[in-house]
Amino acid sequence: MEPSKEPTLNLLSSKDFVPEKYVRDLSQSLVGGPELRRLRKKIQALYEETNNNLKRNVYHNYMQFIDTAKEISHLESEMYQLSHLLSEQKALLAALSTTSILGDETPMITGAENKNDASERGDENRQKLASILEKVEGCKELLEVPGRTYLHEGDLLEVDPVDNNTIKTVHAYLFTDGFMTTYRNTNNRGLMKYVFEVMYELGSLAVVNVRDIGNNKHQFKLLIFPDTRVFQCTASSSKKEWLDKFDQAKKARLTQEQQKRESIVEKSPSRSASIESPSFNPFEDMEEDVGTIHPEWFIEIPEELDVCVAQRHFEEALIFLQKSKDYITQFVNTNGQPDHVIIDIQRKVELRHNNLTEVLMKELEVNPDKSQQGGLRAARRAVRLLNQLGRSTQSCDLFLKLCSSILKTQCKRVKRECSTAMYVRHLSSVVFTNMCHMTEEFLRAFPSSSSCSSAYVVWASNELSLFTSHFIKQVFMPQTSLSTLTECVVLVRSQCERLCSFGVDLCYQLDGALRTPLMQALKDTRDKSIEVAKLRALEDKWIPMNLRSKTGLARFLLQYSEMGLKLDDYVTGDIWIQLTNSTLVFAKLYLTLLNDCLQLETTELLHTINEVLYDVFEAQVRHVESSLRNEKQVEQRKFITKNADFLLVILQDLCQKKYKETIGFECESLHKLKKEYSALIKGVSPTSRSTKTKYSSEFL
Amino acid sequence: MSKKPTAQPALHKVIMVGSGGVGKSALTLQFMYDEFVEDYEPTKADSYRKKILLDGEDVQIDILDTAGQEDYAAIRDNYFRSGEGFLCIFSITEDESFQATQEFREQILRVKNDENIPFLLVGNKSDLEDRRKVSFQEASERAKQWGVPYVETSAKTREHVDKVFYDLMREIRARKMEENKTNNGRGKDKSKKKKLKCTIL
Ligand SMILES: Nc1nc2c(ncn2[C@@H]2O[C@H](COP(=O)(O)OP(=O)(O)OP(=O)(O)O)[C@@H](O)[C@H]2O)c(=O)[nH]1
Ligand SMILES: [Mg+2]
Repeated sequence: MEPSKEPTLNLLSSKDFVPEKYVRDLSQSLVGGPELRRLRKKIQALYEETNNNLKRNVYHNYMQFIDTAKEISHLESEMYQLSHLLSEQKALLAALSTTSILGDETPMITGAENKNDASERGDENRQKLASILEKVEGCKELLEVPGRTYLHEGDLLEVDPVDNNTIKTVHAYLFTDGFMTTYRNTNNRGLMKYVFEVMYELGSLAVVNVRDIGNNKHQFKLLIFPDTRVFQCTASSSKKEWLDKFDQAKKARLTQEQQKRESIVEKSPSRSASIESPSFNPFEDMEEDVGTIHPEWFIEIPEELDVCVAQRHFEEALIFLQKSKDYITQFVNTNGQPDHVIIDIQRKVELRHNNLTEVLMKELEVNPDKSQQGGLRAARRAVRLLNQLGRSTQSCDLFLKLCSSILKTQCKRVKRECSTAMYVRHLSSVVFTNMCHMTEEFLRAFPSSSSCSSAYVVWASNELSLFTSHFIKQVFMPQTSLSTLTECVVLVRSQCERLCSFGVDLCYQLDGALRTPLMQALKDTRDKSIEVAKLRALEDKWIPMNLRSKTGLARFLLQYSEMGLKLDDYVTGDIWIQLTNSTLVFAKLYLTLLNDCLQLETTELLHTINEVLYDVFEAQVRHVESSLRNEKQVEQRKFITKNADFLLVILQDLCQKKYKETIGFECESLHKLKKEYSALIKGVSPTSRSTKTKYSSEFL
Repeated sequence: MSKKPTAQPALHKVIMVGSGGVGKSALTLQFMYDEFVEDYEPTKADSYRKKILLDGEDVQIDILDTAGQEDYAAIRDNYFRSGEGFLCIFSITEDESFQATQEFREQILRVKNDENIPFLLVGNKSDLEDRRKVSFQEASERAKQWGVPYVETSAKTREHVDKVFYDLMREIRARKMEENKTNNGRGKDKSKKKKLKCTIL
């Protein structure tokens, strides 16, 4: 490569540029300090140029960069919400499919009922069964048949099938799978009204309507081979009801049986032969079990579980559940398929499992009577256990509901007696501190479940919406000054940012919610400021400001220099400032406005802010302009021009500096304003303004 | 309750079987109340009881009128189990009902597990001679094959109505007496044997 001596951008940025080699070449070919120093300077200049270019590029793309980042965060949250919707959908579908699976297994009345209805009925039915359990002594197993549904009950008089003599009164229950008789509890101390007598399997009994002959009225007969039992109803209507219910149950059972048989035949042709034999074989249960003998602890697990749940030893219950599960899997692995003892226990354990889940969910449920003393900490246990039971979706749901309720009560406690800013300070601190705390708890409880985190994001976003709508109602009122408003908004924003450290960025949502009211507030402020400027203009005598004393002047100068305005050059004598009161008051107000605007700034608001800054400034400058146009005296024109210069140069520069510090570039609209009114600085007042297009319309 | 020791008249349990609409209910009602019902109302399961004089002996007949309709076929077993004698009815005007008697016979034998169960094959609606589809000969051949009597009845004209019930009750009574003689005190054994057989099946 031909070594070029002069460093250029092209040379330095070429691909095969090797610094060591370049320096070596240089030091070989160049003799003497001055030449080297010249080159060094040149390189230095190149460095600065590149640096500036880089900065310009960064600034140029800065807004785009910020916007993109916001867009991404927005998108992320939308993805979360989408994911939440999907998982909700999934849960719904799963629920639907389990409903139909249950429907297959259990002899529910398979009419034209739809699934939702069925599940509602399921709840009702469970309650009904539970209430029977409370009334009838000795029928604990009532709940242990899955799908058993209550159909009918009533008092019946049992009579002798041969001589028709009264035997006793029974209270009978009809279920989808069986007929249960109970009799009145004669033991007065017994808590329960009835005592269990017998439960007949529906498939093993035949119902016969006894035709009314002579005394035996309203009777029906049950043939339960080899027994026959005759029951007498009080009226023919009640007999008809019983017979209809029996018929209904029988028919439902039949279709059920049919479906089941068909599916079994399909599945295992080898076993179909034995199943094809009469389906209601009353001797089936006489078959001796010669299968494996299971350990006692396994057989006793259902009872153990009952005890654990009753004593609230939930962790222990979980261990039992796991143990039984392990045992069953191991058994199935070695023996191929579960025997009937296993199936029985499995079914019972499953019921306990569901019961345990329900108890735990109750723990988490929001209840107005329940104290929230323990807060989320108190919920930890139930949440953890539910997660272990594989119910994280539900526990997550309940957890978040609990959070909402806690948040609500906490917010209610914030007193409203102090100033708006104080109230907002308290309230936002309560809201976001709680939300941070809840987020922490949430991450603890549901560390790695995407469906839960999306539920959380949705929750957080809802809570924020609740808060912002309340916030807007409280803060955005006509009498609230922009400064107060700004203070509150800034406060809430900084509170909201606290959540970012947990990976939850809701700032964009907050800004979005506040955008419209803020735009309105900015415009209102503009209108008010212009109004005030007009009033000031009327009172403007165009005389220098008199501070009346040296200390007054000093205080005044200090006050303005603190705002960034050095007024020393305008001082004449001991107490005079060569600017009008109107100009000085405007400068102060305008800087406050600018300050508020800059604090409120978001990309979306920038356009409105620029407009407001322009309009308010212009109102003042117009006053100066019209004064100048009407002034003939040279001295006075000079004074007015001085004020114009102060506004358009000194104040504008300061504004631009501040604007740039926050926004990153200078304010275009103020630039434009300065250009439009630059003639004023030279003491020229254009005679006509009618041709001037309004600035704001250009912006649109 | 004090009545219990007094000897109750013997109770004979008769079951009416056969396809829907052949006249099971009509026959029963004619026997019970001496009336003919023109309307057809399908039966589910009705039971009747009546005290009658059978060859000079007070007895009670318990009639179980079952459903002929096909949708009840699957739960017939439970009804049949309680029967001591069967009237298997078909309508001579309907060949299908005659064919169906074969199935009823098989089902009864299976459930009762007894080849000699009291049983009558009954061809009903004999008054509708002009619409006859099943010949007397055809039906009596089947009865002979089964080793049971064949009787033609009319629930409308009451022809042979009493006869079928009385004949069946006589058979039942005869069976009971026979059983008492052969298995005196061993009744329990027999039932156990039956059960075992069922399990094997
Ligand atoms: N002409 C005539 N009609 C009869 C006779 N027996 C029955 N019927 C008519 O046949 C129809 C059916 O009679 P049912 O006795 O109700 O029939 P069923 O066998 O009890 O029918 P299911 O209860 O459905 O099993 C009715 O309209 C009766 O009037 C008969 O001997 N002669
Ligand atoms: Mg009938």
